[in-house]
Amino acid sequence: MTHPLHELMRDSLDHCVKCTICETYCPVAAATPLFPGPKYVGPQAERYRGGDANADASLDYCSSCGICTQVCPQGVKIAEINSQAKAELAQRRGVSLRDRLIARPTLAGWMGAPVWPVANWTTSFGPFRLLLEKVLRIHRKAPMPRWAGRTFQSRTRSRRKAPDPAAPQRKVVFFHGCAANFYEPGTASMAVQVLEHNGLEVIIPKQGCCGLPLQSNGQYDAARAYVRRLAAQLAPYARAGHDIVATSTSCGLMLKREAHEILGVDDDDLRVVSERMFDICEYLVMLDERGELKRDMQPVDMEVPYHAPCQQRGHGVGTPAMELMAMVPGLRASQVDAVCCGVAGTYGLKAEKYDIAMEVGRSLFDQVRASGAALSVCDSETCRWQIAAATDRPSVHPVEMLHRAYGLG
Amino acid sequence: MRRAVVIGAGLAGLVAGVRLAEGGMRVTMVAKGVGSLTLSPGVIDVLGYAPGRVDSPREALGAFVAERPDHPYARIGADALEEALAWFTDRVPQMRYRGDGPRNLLLPTAVGVPRPTALAPASMAGADLRGGGRFVVVGLSGLKDFFPRLLADNLARADLPSGAMVGARHAEITASPRPGRADVAGQVYARALDDPAFRGEFAAALRGLAEPGETILLPAVLGMARAGEVFDELQERVGAPIAEVPTVPPSVAGMRLNTELTGAFARAGGRVVLGVEAVGATGSDGRISEVLVRDAARTRALPADAVVLATGGFSAGGIALDSYGGLHEVVLDLPVAGPPAGVAPLSERHLDHQPLMASGVAVDGMLRPVGPGGEPVWDNLHAAGTIVAGAEPWREKSGEGIAIAGGFRAAGAILEET
Amino acid sequence: MRGYRTILVERVDLGQGTTGRFHGLLHSGGRYVISDERSATECAEESAIVKRIAAEAVEDTGGLFVTTPADDPGYADRFLAACLKTGVPVQEIPAAEALRREPRLNPGISRAFEVQDGAVDAWKLLWGNARSAQEHGAAILSYHWVTEVIREGDRVAGVIARDNRAGEMVRIEAAFVINAGGVWAGEIADMADCPGVTVVPGKGIMIAMNHRLVRTVVNRCEHPGDGDILVPIRTVCVIGTTDVKADSPDDYSIGRDEVQQMLDAGEVIVPGFRQARALHAWTGARPLFKDERAGEGGEDTRHMSRGLALVDHLRRDGVSGFLTITGGKLTTYRLMAETVVDAMVEQMGDSRPCTTATEALPGSEDGRHYWLGSRLAAQEEAMADDQLVCECELMPRRKLVEAARRRPGMTLDDVRRALRLGMGPCQGGFCTYRATGILHGLGDAETERADELLLTFLQHRWLGLEPILYGDQMRQACLDDWIFQGTLDVEHLPVTVPT
Repeated sequence: MTHPLHELMRDSLDHCVKCTICETYCPVAAATPLFPGPKYVGPQAERYRGGDANADASLDYCSSCGICTQVCPQGVKIAEINSQAKAELAQRRGVSLRDRLIARPTLAGWMGAPVWPVANWTTSFGPFRLLLEKVLRIHRKAPMPRWAGRTFQSRTRSRRKAPDPAAPQRKVVFFHGCAANFYEPGTASMAVQVLEHNGLEVIIPKQGCCGLPLQSNGQYDAARAYVRRLAAQLAPYARAGHDIVATSTSCGLMLKREAHEILGVDDDDLRVVSERMFDICEYLVMLDERGELKRDMQPVDMEVPYHAPCQQRGHGVGTPAMELMAMVPGLRASQVDAVCCGVAGTYGLKAEKYDIAMEVGRSLFDQVRASGAALSVCDSETCRWQIAAATDRPSVHPVEMLHRAYGLG
Repeated sequence: MRRAVVIGAGLAGLVAGVRLAEGGMRVTMVAKGVGSLTLSPGVIDVLGYAPGRVDSPREALGAFVAERPDHPYARIGADALEEALAWFTDRVPQMRYRGDGPRNLLLPTAVGVPRPTALAPASMAGADLRGGGRFVVVGLSGLKDFFPRLLADNLARADLPSGAMVGARHAEITASPRPGRADVAGQVYARALDDPAFRGEFAAALRGLAEPGETILLPAVLGMARAGEVFDELQERVGAPIAEVPTVPPSVAGMRLNTELTGAFARAGGRVVLGVEAVGATGSDGRISEVLVRDAARTRALPADAVVLATGGFSAGGIALDSYGGLHEVVLDLPVAGPPAGVAPLSERHLDHQPLMASGVAVDGMLRPVGPGGEPVWDNLHAAGTIVAGAEPWREKSGEGIAIAGGFRAAGAILEET
Repeated sequence: MRGYRTILVERVDLGQGTTGRFHGLLHSGGRYVISDERSATECAEESAIVKRIAAEAVEDTGGLFVTTPADDPGYADRFLAACLKTGVPVQEIPAAEALRREPRLNPGISRAFEVQDGAVDAWKLLWGNARSAQEHGAAILSYHWVTEVIREGDRVAGVIARDNRAGEMVRIEAAFVINAGGVWAGEIADMADCPGVTVVPGKGIMIAMNHRLVRTVVNRCEHPGDGDILVPIRTVCVIGTTDVKADSPDDYSIGRDEVQQMLDAGEVIVPGFRQARALHAWTGARPLFKDERAGEGGEDTRHMSRGLALVDHLRRDGVSGFLTITGGKLTTYRLMAETVVDAMVEQMGDSRPCTTATEALPGSEDGRHYWLGSRLAAQEEAMADDQLVCECELMPRRKLVEAARRRPGMTLDDVRRALRLGMGPCQGGFCTYRATGILHGLGDAETERADELLLTFLQHRWLGLEPILYGDQMRQACLDDWIFQGTLDVEHLPVTVPT
């Protein structure tokens, strides 16, 4: 488990001055007394670790949203320390079948895709969900995506082109992530069309899972294998000078930073991919700053609440989605005053954590409902599923608003 | 549109950011994390001790800066300070700041010391001790950072202006947003009080505690997002005057101020990029053209026509002291003014003046960091807040005044440049 | 334990002197195998006994001797041979294996030896011994300062002590007085009119670092020198130490140059040491018994004997009923006690055997050693129904309340020695006010005393902070100042604090 970078992350606990800013921003600590807070389980408890046994099971209530690291003004890698400690805890306790399953979206994806109508029926079938809760401890009400039938990969086989070192800037690589592949190919298609509308050729190489759900469920070795494989798939494009654009903000962050800082993956493939990786909204705003973004947006007369998900905040690029939506005439986007929707990837699916996750997201859901808007906007898939289920209205990726404004749909 | 980059999201950075954005600039604020404003007690100090207790900062400031020509106030000037404070209180109406014209209020701290401060939220100002008063200090059984008996007993022994008589006793209530949990943080109480249900229970517990003529002193946890409403309603339902006493971090009052001021910045059109580290700048002809920041993936250049450096002093990490005793400004490697030669940097007596603690960057009249010869390092770089050398704000009780006036002045200098 | 009615008189709190001011190393003996063979053998035997009888106070960390690039490579072979000769268990392991176990160690180490060092919490050890003594009928008078040793002709008949808290004089008559005053033993012998017992205070500084940079004790495989030991103890690791002759045993000053020397030394063991966070520095004074007949002495106290020294005043001064035991080291504390009590028993014409090597101290009966996560585990249990007062060292309110009931009138330094209040990263920044408020609320400290407790504790913490203020601890100190001076305005509490 220990790797040199682990020691580096651990050393950052030296910067902690106990100021408690992380605790006041932690969405889980605000929702439940069962979680003693990121300072407590992070820089504080870490000084007691390193022996033969983990002493603090309450650590498991951390949702790994990463807000603590982001708000810490002292540079303590709180979420990273907690993630490492959680992984060690998971190893000691043994990883449950449930956590093995939900950590492998490709597995469920491939199982469901060929039989998608049946799969969709079962996951929305009450008695089956009760069974799932009893047997696997996946909460019966937890939001589940619907299989889309053909995968995005198989729909876009013609775009599986080789790197083109001759024209690197005119061609971008699209990294769609597992969720788009199995459940939301529509969002991915819109992203491709928006990029193309801006004069870019889009390459969609064969690509696997980044391993993020494995990482957040404490299965580091498997996660490392996944992310290395993915980095190897994308690295030739990065080396040729292509930028890589992601719609899945959490998977993009995994490649930018988390695989390195949390898993300790330190190879050249990951490094080049990381340097070329952009969240799609970040990328489009960058185009705009260079004067290359098309401003031919048509009015979209709507009011939409926007939620910047935790993982998007982790990119450290501000809120480019808000800037993009501000360019669309008539579109009145307002940022919701809430840090987290609660689901944090797979956290909110778990039977023992579902209620906490819903409490975490309560204020967000209230604001979305109170806005009266027909839909909400958010960059992350699992968050959209959570928000949509909790507010009874669709939640879409910001690129979809742009897609509308460009008149592409 | 001219672009400004503000480095640091504390009080000085936010004030500068709001003023620049209102002044028509495209402002990007970059910060490693949330500013330390969230740790502050929520009052606005201007000058509390010099070193004797100051009754009127306005009257005392002239002599104060005359004796301390290198103090930030000597650079900013008393007029800018007054203007800045008036401007500032308008930007944060929900805090409902109250003062007594040029005079300091005298508010009890959580340990029962009468502490001078220039402005306080209306929810705190009612505890002004200058005219004496009778108080019942009420603790919350789940909150470990407030000791009503210690506060009350020290208040009864306090050093007050002649003629002021104080009577204080203590009580405790058990109403809790997390029944059955012994350790409940201040922000948990505050958020729960935003909810009318717990507010009712809390008010019921307070009712009858105060005798006629007594003011109830409570830790400053009375509401977060809806603090004004919570305070008014509690006073009305309890039927006695209430005043909040600031707590040590986590400070709910500081969080409220931070929320309102960051909101003002966003409304003025400012952008915040949190979780990034400013690592340097590039420029030519004495002007910075880009600020370099490290995000999750790479080092990015933010174009800038002007830069405000508000990264704080030692505690916020703007100034660092290495193990050999070397002083460093961490973002731009600016020259740091430390203790003068021949002066011991630290005293063995903890509460003495500690010259090292006043280290920071020296600035000119436009708050531009200067080199040893007094010339600006960059023509378009301005510094504000605790990073500016020459003050020990926690001893002087001058921190907010320096930050607000400094941020205001730095922004003013940038806006005047066009 | 041998059936005598005993009173222990201590001038301040137990552990306020040398015993509580060391780095926490339970010596395997390896350090002395060449310089002081007798000490090496004593340490090897005694550390094994202490691990057994005081298991609760000991963490069985194990130890390493490593040859760094700065060390004489020839020492290692001599070291190995001397270990065998003195009976100090040792095993050479490949340098790569040592680096695997301790990834932060200097990657340039050429040899590594495993020894049986441990880490011992001096205060836990003291309290275990104190409780044991009390269970066997002894009385402990702390904060009692001996002002006079009562002489009746050629015999010592007791002592007079000032009770520093009650402000009264106490007369204790005894058939026998044992002077175990450590560095102060010479002063006490003088009071008994037995002059010339010279105990030189060998002052050393130690620095606690914020967390464990190593898991096992690391010694440099070299002639004992300054800053060549890094001891993981409780939540911190401690680098030590210097050794300079002090003029007075009460000199606790810490030289900036000594701090720099420790940091440089730390870099040799763990590269990057200067970037790590120092928490606190302190000094302790070793009692080095000066054997003038051997013609030794001089300024470098490291060459004075580390061995225990029994002074038989009957033989030396013709005074009966009085023995002095000094010198020695914490690892051999039990042997020192056995030696002096044996001598007393002999002088009194008794024959009562010593049992301290076999009887476990209270709290250590189950033989389980301290483990790093223990407080975290306890806190996990207590989380719902107790408040955490000292967050760094995980001290809950209940522990403080219990301690205050047991020992009314504690200072916050007493609380620190008993419960580790204020010993973590924030150095009292968040807990000092809480502990004061709780003691005041219990009625244990009236208001003026509560204010005094708070300010005194902050001042005492400052003495150990000021010499090591740099990097992260400077940030912390400024935040703490902001809390105490900025928010609470403690400097204007209506009380004056003695320096």
